[in-house]
Amino acid sequence: MLTILKKTALAGLALATGLASGSAALAQDPESYKIGAILAMSGAANEYGRVMSQGINLAIEEINAKGGIDGIPLEAVIEDHKSGVAKEGVAALNRLINLENTQVVLTSFSGPTLAIAPIADEKKVLLLNGGGVSAALVGASKYLFHNRSLASDLGLAALRHAHGLGLKKMSQLVWKNDAGESIEEVANKYWGAMGGTIAATEYVEIGASNIDTQIAKIRASNPDFVALWLFSPEPGLALKRLREFRFTKPIIGIEFTPDTQKAAGDASDGFQYTSDYFTATEEYPWSKAFSDAYEAKYGEKPDFYAANYYENVYVAAEAIRRAKAQGGAYYRGDKLADAIKADPQFDSVYGGKMTYQENGVAKKKVALFSVKDGQAKFFRYVSAD
Amino acid sequence: MDLLLQLMMNGLVNGSHYALLGIGFGLIFATTKLVHFAYGPIYAATAYVCWYSFMQLGLPFWAAFGLCVIAAIVLGLLSYLIVYRPLQSRSDSGLVTLIASLGLYTVIENLLGVIFGTGVKSVQGIDSDVFFLGPVFVTSFQLMQIAALILVGGALALFLRFTRYGQAIMAMTDNAEMAQIVGIDTRFVALLVFAIGSAIAAVPAVLILLKDSAGTHMGFSAVFLAFLSVVVGGIGSLRGAVAGGFLIGFVESAGLWQISTDWQSSIAFIILFLMLMLRPDGLFGVKR
Repeated sequence: MLTILKKTALAGLALATGLASGSAALAQDPESYKIGAILAMSGAANEYGRVMSQGINLAIEEINAKGGIDGIPLEAVIEDHKSGVAKEGVAALNRLINLENTQVVLTSFSGPTLAIAPIADEKKVLLLNGGGVSAALVGASKYLFHNRSLASDLGLAALRHAHGLGLKKMSQLVWKNDAGESIEEVANKYWGAMGGTIAATEYVEIGASNIDTQIAKIRASNPDFVALWLFSPEPGLALKRLREFRFTKPIIGIEFTPDTQKAAGDASDGFQYTSDYFTATEEYPWSKAFSDAYEAKYGEKPDFYAANYYENVYVAAEAIRRAKAQGGAYYRGDKLADAIKADPQFDSVYGGKMTYQENGVAKKKVALFSVKDGQAKFFRYVSAD
Repeated sequence: MDLLLQLMMNGLVNGSHYALLGIGFGLIFATTKLVHFAYGPIYAATAYVCWYSFMQLGLPFWAAFGLCVIAAIVLGLLSYLIVYRPLQSRSDSGLVTLIASLGLYTVIENLLGVIFGTGVKSVQGIDSDVFFLGPVFVTSFQLMQIAALILVGGALALFLRFTRYGQAIMAMTDNAEMAQIVGIDTRFVALLVFAIGSAIAAVPAVLILLKDSAGTHMGFSAVFLAFLSVVVGGIGSLRGAVAGGFLIGFVESAGLWQISTDWQSSIAFIILFLMLMLRPDGLFGVKR
C-alpha cells in the first residue's frame, strides 16, 4: 500500500513538474507574437492610420512568409485612438495588455502616446513610436523608442534653413495640439537666439476648414517668411490661402504629403520643408524591395509613415530574436527594451543602419525638400543639432 | 485698421456661408422638429458627388453640380423616409430621433470614406480670381458665397411667402398639429422641407469644394455651425438663421482682431452661452 502511495505521489510530482515546465515553455514561446498597434483608424486623421497599418501588415506578411521568428508567426492587433483621443489610446492599450497579452505596441500621435506611457512603464510594455512628434515624448517611458524625427527636430532644422537664407522676421502658423506647440516652444526659444524676430503666432485647429482669419493676421504682420508648424492636410490649405492672397515670400514647413498637394494645388510650388525622408533607391535594396512590394499590394507608393511602421515591425521582430537568444522568459516588454538598449543599431528601410540614442530617438537624417510642379524635390540634408 | 477691414470682409464671407447652412438646416429643424445632424455628412456627400462627377467622370461642371443637388435631395428624403419617419411614428421622444440622427451621421460619413477613400478631394481646372478693394482682398469664390446666400435665401423667402406649399411649411413650422387639423398634409410637407433643405446644402458644399477642398469630416463643422446659427438666430425664423450665421461669422473673424486665434474654436460657444443666458429664444425667435 505504501509503495502504491509512493508511486502515486511520484507520478503526481512528475506530472506537476511536467505541467510546470510545459507552462514555462508556453510562457517563453507564445503561439504567436502579437504586435499591437494603436493608430488613427477613424476620425479626422484616419489617413495616417490607413498608411501606417498598411506598412505594419506588409511587414508581418513578409516576416511570416519567411517562417516568422523561429517558426512562431507574428500577428497584428490594431486598435483605434480615433485620431489622437488620449483616453481611447489608454483603453486600447489596456485591451492589448489584458486581452491579447501584447508585449510590443506600435504607437502613434503624441497625445495618446503620452497617455499610455505610464501604463507601459507599469506593465513593462515596449512602445515603438513612428508617428508622434511632440518633444514631450522624449523620456515619457523607459520602454519608449522612436524611429520618427520629433517635431521639434524638424522645426529646428527648418529654422536653421531659414537662418541660412538670411531671413529675420518670422510669422508662424501653429497646429493647435501637442506636436504643433512643441515646435512653437522650440521656435520661440531658438529663433530669437539665431537673431530673428517673431511677428505673429496664429493657431490652426486639426481638421480646420476655414483659416481665413489666421491668414489675414499673418499677412498683416508682413513677415520675411511664414513657418507652417502644421501637419497634413492643413499645410495645403495654408499654402493655398497664403498664395491666393499674393503672399510671395518664402513659406517653410515640416511636412508635405499627397493630401497636402491635393489641397494646395499649384500653390505648393516653392514650398520648402524638412522631413523624414523615405525614397526607394537602387543603392539600398531593402528600400526598393519594400517600395515595390507596398506599391504592388496597395497600388500606391509608401510615404514615410508607412515606412516607419513597416520598419518598426522589423525592429520589434529583431528585438524579440535578440531577447530570445538571451534565453529565459524573454518575451516581455522590458526584456525587449533591454535588447534594444544593449545594441541600439538596427537595419533601416531608409538605407543602412539607424541607431537609437540614449533618449530613445533614432538618429536619422532630416531632409530639406522644395516643391516644384507639385513634386517634392530633395534639396539637401539639414542638421537639427 | 487694414486688418480690421479684412477681417470684416472675412466675416461677411464666412457669415454668408454659415447663414446658408443655417437656413437649410433650420428649415428642416423648424418644420419637422428633427435635429437632423446627418445634414453634415449629406453636405459632405454632395461635395463628393460633385467632385466625382467633374474630376472622375469628366462631366461639365454644371452637370456635376446638378447631380450633386439631386444626390442631396435623394439622401435627405431617404434619411426621412427610412430613419426619421418610422421612429417618429413609433415614439414621441425627440431623444430617439436625435440618437438616430447621430447614428446616421456616422454611417454616411463612414460610407463616404469607404466609397471615395479618405484622402482630400480637390477640383483642378477652376481657379478663382482675386480682387483688391483698397487694402481688402476677396476671391471670386468668396464673392460667390455671398451671392449664393442672396440668391438661395431670397428664392426661399419668396417661395415661403408666396406659394401654397411655402405657406403650408410656415403653418407647420408655427403649429404642426393645427396645420394637420386644417388639412395640410404634414407628411408631404416634411418630405418637401427635407428635399429643399438638403438641396440648399449642396450649394455651400460645392463652393467649399471649389474654394478649399473636400474631406469626409467636413460635415462636422458645417452642421455644428448650422445648428449654432439657428439657435442663436432663433428657431423657426429664416432671417434669424441668417442673422445668427452673420453674427458667428463676424465674431469669429473680427472678434479675433486683437485676440489670439487660439480662441477661435471657443468663440462660437461663448456666443451660444451668452445667447442662451440672455435671450434663450434667439435673436428672432418666437416666445412660445
